[in-house]
Amino acid sequence: MFATKRLSKMQEHVPPGIAIVKCDNLEEWQMDIKILDQNPLYLDQTYRLKFTFSNKYPIEPPEVQFIQCPDSTGTPRTIPMHPHIYSNGIICLDLLGSAGWSPVQTVESVCMSLQSMLTANNRNERPPGDQEFIATNRRRIRDINFVYEDDNV
Amino acid sequence: MNLQDFLAMEESRERDELIDLRSLDLVSEYDSHLMCPICHCPFVEPVRLQCDHVFCGSCLSSAINSFRSADSDEFPCPSCRNPTQKVSASVPRLLINMCDEIRVLCPLITEGCQEIIPRGHVQSHVEKYCGYRLLPCPDNSCDQMTRSKDVGMDQKCIHKVRRCAHCKENVLEHEYEEHEKELCPVLEVTCADCETVVTRGALQEHIESCPEVAIPCAASKYACPVKIRRADIAAHEQSCPIVAMGPYFETQNARLKSLESSMRHLQQRNEIFEDGLANIRSTLFESTRLGANSHSGGQPPQSDREQQSSARVDAHTDDPADLAAGVFSSNATTYLLSLHESLREEVSQLSHAITDLDARASMAIMNECMRIKEDIAHTNAAVNSVRMQVQWLMNPRLHQGTRGGAVRPSSTESEGTRTNMASSVAGPSHATGQSLGPLRPRRPSDSGREGTKL
Repeated sequence: MFATKRLSKMQEHVPPGIAIVKCDNLEEWQMDIKILDQNPLYLDQTYRLKFTFSNKYPIEPPEVQFIQCPDSTGTPRTIPMHPHIYSNGIICLDLLGSAGWSPVQTVESVCMSLQSMLTANNRNERPPGDQEFIATNRRRIRDINFVYEDDNV
Repeated sequence: MNLQDFLAMEESRERDELIDLRSLDLVSEYDSHLMCPICHCPFVEPVRLQCDHVFCGSCLSSAINSFRSADSDEFPCPSCRNPTQKVSASVPRLLINMCDEIRVLCPLITEGCQEIIPRGHVQSHVEKYCGYRLLPCPDNSCDQMTRSKDVGMDQKCIHKVRRCAHCKENVLEHEYEEHEKELCPVLEVTCADCETVVTRGALQEHIESCPEVAIPCAASKYACPVKIRRADIAAHEQSCPIVAMGPYFETQNARLKSLESSMRHLQQRNEIFEDGLANIRSTLFESTRLGANSHSGGQPPQSDREQQSSARVDAHTDDPADLAAGVFSSNATTYLLSLHESLREEVSQLSHAITDLDARASMAIMNECMRIKEDIAHTNAAVNSVRMQVQWLMNPRLHQGTRGGAVRPSSTESEGTRTNMASSVAGPSHATGQSLGPLRPRRPSDSGREGTKL
């Protein structure tokens, strides 16, 4: 309902390390995020995030995942290595689940949370059971029941 | 009130709301503290939680509906996640006033209303005062809508189509008056200049050809100030000297233009040449400087060279090439001299720094030496005291040893049968005597070593 204004307001001011790639409609946005500190895992890398908004946003959380872009697009993007990010880009973060979401969050704040989640990480690994998960998961992101067992990240 | 009451209240309120205050176009910036963090609009009917966070009532109710676990009477605040049970509708009046005062455009801007009003007045403006709100046509047989400002006192329907008596065009009733007065192309008007009566449609054409309209002289671009009626302009142009000069002016203008362009071209070429010349000069200067640098001698050969070059300058001042060379060589010499000066300064600075460092280092060494000397004196004293103690401790053993040593030979001499026993008794004391043996000669050597250390 009032998502339009809210989303268009963001385009005026974007925090550092975050860039809007595509925001021409109110269903799907794409953002580029960079990790600004010297974390060797993500140094000089840019990652592409896809936001999918439901018509109940911001009461309902948007679906957020990392996406890959092939080299041929001119802006190659990969999925960052992180113990909470599956290799198909799905992110296990309580902020993005319906339990941890707050309607006060915005696209910027989600991007900044993901930036800090990557910054704080020093393990170059995928979540346990990554291969089975990406092979078997056919559900939509919001229907997946994650268990947020790790409070350190 | 608790959450249930609040939700019920919000539900009943939403029904009588007419205008969506969030979709209004704001005219000015507003303070970011007045923004509801959920809908990012200035608060609409704000409510307050126990933690003092304020939200729009409707935003909060939708958030509660989707976040509250079923039939619990607690709800985490969207901003701080503090559990809250009570919602207070008593938000400071100040906050509500500030939100109501934000200037917005009338939502009927699509209908043509240009008014800017405080947000608090939008509802009443749209309901009562806006001239562009649509009302059903006062004529009951007409099903169209009318802007409220078009509904006159006489309550007539304005949608009736009326045929213009002059141009046979169909015109709406409420536009008929305007059409008749100003727009109808068949109506006749009089030309302001020649008093001729023409139809409105032909007026523009008439003005182009009207003999009474004042037009400027053909030579007005060459500063002829005359502006007279079209009828007289031909006579003026025949006598106007500037018109006669016209073709001449034109050719002059063309010539000026071409000259300007060629001049610009030449200027550019000149700049290129100047750049090239400067380049050549700098390379020449460079090479002479290199030549001067390759001179192995110090000051005397340089001054020689300077004299030579100055002599040459004196001799051939009329020859520009030689003059340039002379200038370059003298330049090189001065450059070298200045280089020498700066190097000399640097060297003196360095020597200063070195003496400074030297002094500091020797001071540091002195300090360190003093400390070490004291330490060694302490150690010496300690060693001495230890030696004294060891000596004192050893003294009885030594006495024993000498006694044993004195006893043993006598016993071996007197009784061979006792020898075994005596030697077994004297063994250890003899051994201590042996171990003490090297101790005694070592002492002077130890102190000697300490002495050399100091």
